[in-house]
Amino acid sequence: MKLAKIAALVGVAVLSIGPAAAYPDRPVTIVVPFPAGGATDTTARLMGGKMQELLGQPVVIDNKPGATGAVGATGVAQAKPDGYTLMVASIGTYAVNPFLQKGLKYDPQKDFDLITVAVRTPNVLVANPNFPVNSVGELVEYMKKNPGKVSFASSGSGSSDHLTAALFMQRTGTNGVHIPYKGGAPAIADLIGGHVNVSFQNLGAIINHVKAGKLKALAVSSEARVPLMPDLPTLGEAGFKEVVVYSWQGAAAPKGLPADVRAKVNEAAVGALNSPDVKTKFNELGFEVVANSNEEFAKFLGDELARWKQVIADGNITAE
Amino acid sequence: MDFSNVEIGLATAFSAWNILYCLIGVFLGTAIGVLPGLGPVATISMLLPITFGLEPETALIMLAGIYYGAQYGGSTTAILVNLPGESASVVTAIDGYQLARKGQAGKALATAAIGSFVAGTIATLLIALFAPPLADMALEFGPPEYFSLIVLGLVASVVLAHGSLLHAFGMIGVGLLLGLVGIDVNSGASRYTFEFPQLTDGINFVVVAMGLFGIGEIIANLDRSSERTLLAKKITDLMPSLADLREMFGPVMRGTALGSLLGILPGGGAMLSSFASYALEKKLSNRPQDFGHGALAGVAGPESANNAGAQTSFIPMLTLGIPSNPVMALMIGALIVHGIQPGPSVMNEQPALFWGVIISMWIGNVMLLVLNLPLIGLWVKMVSLPYNLLYPTILVFCSIGVFSLNNAEFDIYLMALFGALGYLLRKFDCEPAPLLLGFILGPMMEEYLRRTLLLSAGDPAVFVTRPISLAMLVVAALLLATVFAPFIVKKREEAFQE
Repeated sequence: MKLAKIAALVGVAVLSIGPAAAYPDRPVTIVVPFPAGGATDTTARLMGGKMQELLGQPVVIDNKPGATGAVGATGVAQAKPDGYTLMVASIGTYAVNPFLQKGLKYDPQKDFDLITVAVRTPNVLVANPNFPVNSVGELVEYMKKNPGKVSFASSGSGSSDHLTAALFMQRTGTNGVHIPYKGGAPAIADLIGGHVNVSFQNLGAIINHVKAGKLKALAVSSEARVPLMPDLPTLGEAGFKEVVVYSWQGAAAPKGLPADVRAKVNEAAVGALNSPDVKTKFNELGFEVVANSNEEFAKFLGDELARWKQVIADGNITAE
Repeated sequence: MDFSNVEIGLATAFSAWNILYCLIGVFLGTAIGVLPGLGPVATISMLLPITFGLEPETALIMLAGIYYGAQYGGSTTAILVNLPGESASVVTAIDGYQLARKGQAGKALATAAIGSFVAGTIATLLIALFAPPLADMALEFGPPEYFSLIVLGLVASVVLAHGSLLHAFGMIGVGLLLGLVGIDVNSGASRYTFEFPQLTDGINFVVVAMGLFGIGEIIANLDRSSERTLLAKKITDLMPSLADLREMFGPVMRGTALGSLLGILPGGGAMLSSFASYALEKKLSNRPQDFGHGALAGVAGPESANNAGAQTSFIPMLTLGIPSNPVMALMIGALIVHGIQPGPSVMNEQPALFWGVIISMWIGNVMLLVLNLPLIGLWVKMVSLPYNLLYPTILVFCSIGVFSLNNAEFDIYLMALFGALGYLLRKFDCEPAPLLLGFILGPMMEEYLRRTLLLSAGDPAVFVTRPISLAMLVVAALLLATVFAPFIVKKREEAFQE
């Protein structure tokens, strides 16, 4: 009995000396700083489900919503960097909050070990079917003739679709009225009802409405055309090459993961994202799997932060 | 209408497997609805991963069951212990709790259950017959119409107060202010958040309601030492009499109509329906003075409206993919994981899902009635538990429920704060119901007002040039006039006497 106790203690001691060898030896938690059921949550669950198989330990999703992910992300930034607390968060949490939230308690570049960009999805420029424009060119022309008259619905101040619209207007030299909503759904509802004119919305959120003729799609903000809507031109084709925008989700961990744990987490995350069944599912939902390296994510985040800082400054989009 | 699809739906809904999941759903829903603080959003969030392994229609049938089951259960707590777990049961609590205090808790519960069943049945039929055209009609409702609707709701709800009118207005004002907390939708500016990131999305309704009603009531009762407010009288009728049934027929029918109509509006119509129904019943009643002191119509009408609204709020989700509340948004999330993007095509491409869910709702409503009526006796006994057992239990469940909203302990502290406020308000003889009304409707009213003005370039004329909006504002003005007319008439009478 006593011997067993000592053996157990020694075991614990050995484990705590060399945690990397054993990682993971208990369940891994992925914090999702958004409510269950949204895009970020879906990403984490699809990825986490597969990571569970690859890591051989349960992966638990913990939703800690609030302040575009700031509440959950602050918690993760302060968690122990042992690989048992991970996070899947959105473009807003990583690349927009620093410019819009006063007193933000985390720094996306300094407080996290970035793992990988998980998935991305472009925004589609959609209009009410009765709105008298049928292409991006016509929209720009219409907006120039009617400055400040075209209404742009967004899923909220500082959301990816709001910023896409801001970038679009800055690059095309036009201006419209920004009409923010609490989330994408009410914005799409008013767009279908004809109470607002146009909006940039995530591909997955509008594809069925476009197919049913309730909305008309003018262009997509991706680099190349998207497989789900092959007839839809990109904004680049329409002459606005700078307006390539994705709404994305990325995985990260608290700063200071041991190198081998970090490698293992990245391997599992990337492996999960690239596994054929997970990939197919993401594609059906309108997401494109990215699955890259720690360094690639870090470079990408730097670019995104620089770009949105500029757009927010130029567009006078400030919180106060 | 294509009846072959309805047949597929019938086959789906009546398959043993789906009936089982429907039962699990409504049972779970009732259970969490009865427990104070625990709501369908938290429950569905927790169960979401389980549904990934089910067929999509089975998953949705169960989740829908949880949702409307919770509506049933929620009224039980509102009536028995004056704890409304969601906005709709705030109204039920007003007269339901008074009935319970008179020893007629059984009658109130049965009224709620029967009213909900009738409303659920009629609303389900409505969905089956008219879902697509109704959904298109709902989209005609733009920001100005919503604004006017909320104005009408707010004016009508002044009748919620049965004490001092001044206190009621004051409480609505405090509620409006509390509703401002968080990020302003239009400008993105933080208001009254004091740099607490937990406050940026605003204060959750459940936190306010549990604090003001639950905790506040508990503190107030400790004050009164051993005197019992609950069950001061013996339980008299467990079931409504034939006369009661006749009395509730009108309110149930009117509540169902009101709830079905308002429920279709995705921008918060369902929330208004129980308030509106209460106001309507009080206006139509020949004993309006009974309202607030245990009027059966004050339970029957709002409960029917609430349940009808809960059912018809599935219309915008099923036909357009537009969720009208957080629960619906979660259900859409569940469907998306199954690779189904809810939208106009679902009805034709997924007839088993669309019709299966609709028909299962009626099955679920039958189950709820069968489940709830025999339980009434048990619930009523629960209230006769000694306070030193009942209160700690309520406290624990309130805390669990509030924690589960965002998995954050912050919300529990906030609830404690509102508990203290609730106690103070009781001392000042101020009722919490108008406060909650202001809290719910205030932010919506602001959002729609500012959106309308943004779209009209600042021109308020749209409110009176759009017919639906104008009509509602006229009704609101008339109502306001009837509220103040007695004062004016009385003053004149006094003048004549002198």
